[in-house]
Formats: sequence, C-alpha cells, structure tokens
Amino acid sequence: MAERIGVYVCKCGPNIGDKVDVGTIVNKVRGIKDVAVAKSHNLLCSGDGLKFLKEEIKNEKLSRVVIAACTPKQYEVKFMRACEEAGLNPYLMQMTNIREQCAWVTPDKSAATEKAKSFVIAAINRVSLQESIEKKEIDIQPDVLVVGGGVAGLEACLSLAQKNRKVYLVEKSPCIGGLTARFEEVYPTMECAPCMIAPELQEVLQKENIETFTYSEIEEVVGSFGNFTVKVKKKARYVSEEACIGCDACFEPCPVEVSNEYDEGLSTRKAIYLPFAGSLPNVPVIDEDNCKRFKGEECSICKENCSFDAINFDDEDRIIEKDVGAIILATGSTLFDPKELPQYGYGKYDNVVTAMQLERLNASNGPTGGKIQLKNGKEPKSMAFVYCVGRKEKGYCSGICCMYSLTLAHLVKEKLPGVKMHNFYTDLCLPKKEHQKMYKEAVEKGIEFIRSGENVTVTDEGEKIIVGTNGKKISVDMVVLAPAVEPNVDTEKIAEVLDIPRDDQGFFAEEHTLMKPFATALEGVFVVGSCQGPKDIGDAVAQGGAAAGRILSKLIPGEKLELEAKVSEINEDLCSGCNICIVLCPYSAISRDTEKKISVVDETLCRGCGTCVSACPTGAARAKHFTKEQIFAEIKGVVR
Amino acid sequence: MNEPTIVSFLCNWCSYEGADKAGGARLNYPANIRIVRVMCSGRVDPELVIQALKEGASGVLILGCHPGDCHYKKGNYKALRRAYLLKKTLKQLGIEEERVRLDWVAAGEGERFAEIANEMAETMKNLGPLELS
Repeated sequence: MAERIGVYVCKCGPNIGDKVDVGTIVNKVRGIKDVAVAKSHNLLCSGDGLKFLKEEIKNEKLSRVVIAACTPKQYEVKFMRACEEAGLNPYLMQMTNIREQCAWVTPDKSAATEKAKSFVIAAINRVSLQESIEKKEIDIQPDVLVVGGGVAGLEACLSLAQKNRKVYLVEKSPCIGGLTARFEEVYPTMECAPCMIAPELQEVLQKENIETFTYSEIEEVVGSFGNFTVKVKKKARYVSEEACIGCDACFEPCPVEVSNEYDEGLSTRKAIYLPFAGSLPNVPVIDEDNCKRFKGEECSICKENCSFDAINFDDEDRIIEKDVGAIILATGSTLFDPKELPQYGYGKYDNVVTAMQLERLNASNGPTGGKIQLKNGKEPKSMAFVYCVGRKEKGYCSGICCMYSLTLAHLVKEKLPGVKMHNFYTDLCLPKKEHQKMYKEAVEKGIEFIRSGENVTVTDEGEKIIVGTNGKKISVDMVVLAPAVEPNVDTEKIAEVLDIPRDDQGFFAEEHTLMKPFATALEGVFVVGSCQGPKDIGDAVAQGGAAAGRILSKLIPGEKLELEAKVSEINEDLCSGCNICIVLCPYSAISRDTEKKISVVDETLCRGCGTCVSACPTGAARAKHFTKEQIFAEIKGVVR
Repeated sequence: MNEPTIVSFLCNWCSYEGADKAGGARLNYPANIRIVRVMCSGRVDPELVIQALKEGASGVLILGCHPGDCHYKKGNYKALRRAYLLKKTLKQLGIEEERVRLDWVAAGEGERFAEIANEMAETMKNLGPLELS
C-alpha cells in the first residue's frame, strides 16, 4: 500500500512566518512522491494546532508525518504524543528544525526559504524510511540491595523499605552504623552521634521489610536494571544471631587478646568480641584468625559460658542468592595512612595520633571511656592539630578534615579547658553555612591557627613533641593528624564484581558529577556517600535518599519498566563475531553469544549512542531510528 | 547564491543544542550550513561523511560534546580517532583535509557554534566546490 505522508509547516506566528516563505515550501513539496498533504499552520504546538494535527492524521489516513517547526528539543515529545493519540506510531513522525536552525539565523528570506525547503525535503526522505518502534517493557523485581550500613546506606534502606518492597542490607563488618557510630559528637550541630544514629540502626534491624546481613560481602552480580541476581557471602560468625541475647558472658573468659581495630588499635579485644560497646546488632563474632580453637587448640571457654547455646563452632560461610531490581553501593571510605609520610612521626612517637584515634579517645564507648589522655595516662596540657595530611599526595582536598579537626578541638577544649591548642593548616575549607561560625568560636576560645602550608615536621625532645614549620617551633604533648579521606580497600574488588568504573582517585565514578552524582555507568547501580568521594554525614545521607528516590520512581511494585526505544540491534546473519562493538560499547550492553559466535545487544543496557554502528565492519549493527539508510536519505535532502 | 552545502552532523546532547542557542541569540551564519542530527558524534561513521561529499557537499562538519563531557562517556573520543584516519584517507584521495572539520560545541555555546559555522563557510568559499571525478 502506498504511503501517505502529511507535511505540516508551522509559522510559529511571525517567528518562522515572517522569515521564511512557508507558502512556497508547501507548494514545492506537494508534488513529491507519497506526499498526500502539505499544509501550513500558524501555531502547531497550541491546543488548536495539536487538535488539527490529530484530525489530519485520522482524516487523511496518514501513514507518516513531517513537522517543520521549532527545535525538537522543545516539543518533539508533545508531537509524538499527538501522533500516538491519533493512532500513528510516534517514530513515524519526523520533526525538522526550521526556526532555531534556519529562520532565526538567516536574515535573507529567500536563502532561509531555500534552506528550510531542503530541511523539509530531507525530513520527507527520512520519514519514508523510518520504522515503527514499539514500546518495550520488562517485568521487574522491586527489591533492592544496599551494600554498606553507614549513614548513606541506612538512609537508603529506610527510604526504600515499604509494602511490597524488600531491602537487603549487606555490611562487611559485624555491626552497622559505619564510621558515624564510632564518633562521639558530630559537626556542625555538635550532636551526640550514637544518640542520633541509634534510632535509625534499631529501625533498620527491626523493620519487617529490611533483611540485614552483617559480616557479609557481595561475591557476584549478574543481570541488569530491574533484574539483578546477587550472590552474598555471609561469613561464619560462629554465634547464632537468633539464639544470642547479647549478654556479653562469652568475652570475659576468652583467653585471647588482640589489638582492637574498632578502637584504632588503642585497646584490645578478645577473639570473641563486639566491635565496641553498644554496637548493633548486639551479637558477638568469633575472629577465626585469632581464636585458639581455629589454631588447633582445644578451647571452648566461650561456649561453656554461654547460657543460650548460641555458639556454634561448626558454622560455615554461606552463599545467599537474592533477586533485586537495583543496587546501591554505600561502602564508605577510610583515612590515608600517615605512616606513608615519615615527617609527621606517626608510628614513631607514641603521642602522635590520628584524628580517628582522638575520636575514639574522646568517645564514651571508646577505650578510655572518653578520657583524653597521653600514652602514659596523663592529660595533655598542649596539643597540635596538623591538617591536610596526605592532601598533596592524594592530589585533592577531602573537604571534611578542617571541620572534623575543628570539632575535635572544640570537644577537647570542653573537656580540658586549660589545654593549649595550635592548628597547623594549609587552606581552611569551611564551605557550609554553619562552618565559619565554628572556626570563629575556636578563635574566640583562644585556639591558635598557624598557616604552615604543607611544610610541617614532627620531632621529639624528651617527653615533648616539637612541631616545626617555616622556622617556627612549638613544643606540645600531643599531635593530632588530620589525614585525607581515601577509598576503602575493597572498592576495587566491588568495582570488578559489578563492572563499574572508578575515578582517578580510586573512588567509584559517578555517571555525571553534577547531574547524576549518585548514578553509575551501569543503569540500576547507584553510588552514595563517601565511596563516591569524600563527604560529610549530611551529604552522605542526602545522596542515600536521592538514590532511593530514583529507585522508588522507577521500580514500582507490580509495574513494568519501560526501556529506551532507540537502541542498537545486531543482524545475526551479517555479524562476523569480530567483537569490536563489545569492546567499544560504553555500557557493556553488547556481549558475545558463544554458541552462535556473534554479538548480541542487551536492550535493557543499551542507551542508543550508535558507537557500535559506526565501528561495525559488516554493517550488522544498526541503530534504530538512526540507520544508515535514514541518515543517507536525510543527507540527500539537505545537499541541494 | 546557492553555494555548495556544508553537511553538519551535530550530536543530540551538546552541539545540536549549541546550534539552537545560536538561533535563540539570533546570530547569523551562512544558509549553506545544513544540519543533520545524530545521537552522538561517535555515531558519525566515515561512510556518512563520504556520502555527504558524494551527494555534492563541499565540506562536512562533525560537532560533538567537549572532551570529557560526552553524554555517552567517550563517543567523542571515538569520533576524534575516526576523523583523524578519515582525513588521512581523504588526503590520499586528493581531497583537502580542511573539507572535514571535527570540533566541540557545548549546549550553551551558541556563539561558538556560529563562529565555527562562519569559519567553515569561509574555508569552503576559499576552497571552492569539491570536484569529484
């Protein structure tokens, strides 16, 4: 059956009407093969215009439509909807831009008319070759996996858990709460961190639709947005989370004592332990690297002291498989190790500590119960804070170290008002509305700020530590280093498991720094909190909530997910299996069918850039709606 | 007044919007700049460029997002590699390299678009129409 093409040239009031001779164009294109109707309209995008267009499609029984008007960026969606409403597949409509790219840039009316005519003819050529594209929808799994139980992950869990949607929280350590759970008070509100976070932790652990796997890691992820299958390794804890009531009776008798990493090495713990007082879930874990029993010795003291039969030495690692529609990574960050920079004396002098160690000394659930003290147990009378430790080496400002150092300075001053404090900084980073105030108050309290630059050396002189900078020397009892924030060690492994890129600094790379700061190159995988870059608590929480919002609006229980229509496809008969497209695809949307020895496109991942099409040596790859034939036809029209 | 056309492949996300901005600002450039929208400059196969020249264009512009800004991450780098090879090939065929120009125009850069369009039109004017035997 012959095609019936309708051509509609919009005058856009005087915008096109005065600059282009619309009548001439309409008359010229009327004679073109398959053009059944060619008309002009004063304002196609108006209510009347759209009604006119729909009636035309129906009454004239149009099989294709060309609209010559403004930029498709403005109303293409509107016109596509009108076509759909009139029963015409929207991909059988072609818009051509005779306003922004013709009438408005060409002062000479006859030249503008000539150019507009070529655009309309190009669109007629092209539309003849366009194909209907049907909406593709897939069934989805609304459940979500959240990796990392710090503030960002917690916020995501609580925002997502609802009727008909489960959230699986996977946390590598034995407890949730991340770094925040180990802080005493946090800036800028100087609020008690455990009090602030405890209700969230309890809600996550108790909420029916959140299942928490602590002491667990993700091992394997397959699938794509809407339908991922994840394998989680739940490491043997040797203590039953169901049976244990958290009475602590097992720690005391344990004969093993090792350095406690949760107190930054400032205290010791047993081989069966809770990371810190009040950590949740309140179930200990047996550290098999240090437990005597796992070294071949006969010891079962903990089990003998357990009244609830909660200890099971035969516990094993388990692999748990879950189907989820989306994945949020909230795996956090760590601090740069100052041992890499010997000039700061860290690891050499007892009373040179990191900010995180001072956090633990100050914490009421820490090794000293909140007493700030030197290695010898005495109170320090003077302290120096050294900022920007590792900034130069890492190549970026972490943006939170000035504020956490200022916070600690305030907290120390509260407990030990007589302590003399000197802050050695390079640049002060106080970007938010409350931050300047905290700095001002520190100055008012008599805390000294010295702009040292990175030229700081730490040496000792008897019991004192000497901080030197630019010819100046200050003698103090304790030095606190503020190290840069860097990616967690497992970031690389997780990036490999998910096949998502990392940035130059090693953090997970966001899809777009400004517009999609929590999305990744892999659709359906989100990165929130400091695993994406250094961040304070508020920013991490905001990102966790934002990613959750995205998921809530896309993965709706019981509803299908609409896929991008203009994707690439590969013709089986033409594909030689050279793999070039697989390597080039920026979204890993093309994979190899090993049986047929050809490439196949996963339509859930393809975003339609067409890079594979230009690279395909046999012409097997084809971009829907941007085929070679369609573009050739358009070229033929514009070159006149 | 009908000068040979310059087929301009513009990526949907940056350059096409840049050209729209030039329109919004009512900047002028010659009417022989004829635009073809593609989703990404990485879609611009040398085949498309050669076809444009075969159809009678005197030159071809390929405009994409600035390096690092590609909507599809690295499509513009792929365009760059292809353009480099293509120009070498054209040179061997006796076609002046200047007839194909790859450049970057951001969505807000209306002035830059108009500037490149004017420069390209001027270059083509100086070179004259492409004579393919």
